[in-house]
Amino acid sequence: MITIDIELKDKPGELLRVLTPISKHGANVISVIHSREEKRGGKVPVRIVIDVDDKEKLKNILEDLEKEGAIIKKIDGKDKKVYLDVVVIGHVVDTNIRDTIDRINEIGLVEDLDLIMPHPDKESSAMMRIIIDEDKIEELFYLFEELEKEKGLLFIKSIF
Amino acid sequence: MDIIIVGFGAIGKGVAKVLYEKREYLKKNFEEFRVVAITDSSGAAIDEDGLDLLKAIEVKEKTGKIKNYPEKGKEISSIDVIRNVDADVVVEVTPSNLETGEPAKTHILESFKNKKHVVTANKGPLALCYRELIEEAKKYNVIFRHEASVGGAMPIINLAKETLAGNEILSIRGILNGTTNYILTKMEKEGLDFETALKEAKELGIAETDPTQDIEGLDTAAKIVILANSIMGMNKTIKDVKVKGIKRITPEALFLANKRGYTIKLIGQIKDGYLIVEPMLVPIDSPLNVKGTLNVAMFETDLAKEVVVVGRGAGPIETASAILSDLIHIYQATKR
Repeated sequence: MITIDIELKDKPGELLRVLTPISKHGANVISVIHSREEKRGGKVPVRIVIDVDDKEKLKNILEDLEKEGAIIKKIDGKDKKVYLDVVVIGHVVDTNIRDTIDRINEIGLVEDLDLIMPHPDKESSAMMRIIIDEDKIEELFYLFEELEKEKGLLFIKSIF
Repeated sequence: MDIIIVGFGAIGKGVAKVLYEKREYLKKNFEEFRVVAITDSSGAAIDEDGLDLLKAIEVKEKTGKIKNYPEKGKEISSIDVIRNVDADVVVEVTPSNLETGEPAKTHILESFKNKKHVVTANKGPLALCYRELIEEAKKYNVIFRHEASVGGAMPIINLAKETLAGNEILSIRGILNGTTNYILTKMEKEGLDFETALKEAKELGIAETDPTQDIEGLDTAAKIVILANSIMGMNKTIKDVKVKGIKRITPEALFLANKRGYTIKLIGQIKDGYLIVEPMLVPIDSPLNVKGTLNVAMFETDLAKEVVVVGRGAGPIETASAILSDLIHIYQATKR
């Protein structure tokens, strides 16, 4: 048995969407716990316990879950996704913020953005929350370095 | 135990003051710690029976030159004093030079050759040629200690090497520069911009007239190198450190960080063989979040897990505390 902790958008039909691929791959759903009272940032934590006999099947299920928009937080209690908070200083908007976010989203997902622009001539400061697979953090740091060189930004990462 | 103090600036004077104030304690618990020579760029004061430390401080403060010490003062180079004056230990506390490590490096090597133990607070030679110094000390069978080179009074090197002996140190991270910590604390508390906070730190004498090495992270980088080499057995120099300073930190960035439960600190870290100095988001409730001019270091070890030490990173008396502990160590290792 495998316990999968995911986060779903709080919209009708979301739960059904993620349960479908599980049965499609021939795994048995043992239980589903839907913790509406722990909703955070419009997302509801859901714990699904499934019975699955081989690793390949599990991998396919996880991939499909993500395709259906679920964020996988933990598998059998082990962290899958981590939150990384980052402050960005520089001409954040003028250096094409859309492009910056798109490139980060190729590795992780920018979930939240808080921006202060004190004056058009002065550098802005932004706070981002990025949700990312733990094993992709190095890749993300490498992208930060690239963006720093290219756009003159400064990324301040959270300690973890 | 007979001591030569090489360099008589703020730290040298601090050492003299502490040795004077602790003279009864030292005599009672160990033996008399005599200062037989003090040098500066003007020359030296030499007395094989022990100098009057209060008089030496007074002469230096009034005239700026130790060679004006009555009767026993003369024009002579530090190197000649190291070669010719009989002593057990040389305390090397000339200003740090992160480009050449001189003149401290020559002073230290010359002391080794003359069979004198060395205690230093000098980051320069340690950050540039640690391995060479250690090997030379071994070759001449003398003790080389430098607790004061990182974190001032905060016991960090000896804590890791002695108290945590047997533990494998997996990572070290911390705030090792009081000036930058003061500036960031000030910016956070009062919403000041960097330039204003720096100006205030200069007026209070917390930042030096030329604070470049502090704010660009080079001072922290030098200390990280010393920790990597002395505690973790690496062979790094300051060129191996990736460094970013705090010049670009804005009050808005601190405000946004606060909103999410963080503060911003200049963190030096050694992890997975990498040496990095950069501003980082530190959770407000983390033990690394120390304020003002305090320094902090966190060790991650295999047995003791996390160990955190906090202390005053600078100041002549605080630094002299670390130098005194090294002197006592040398006494205990050699005289018993």
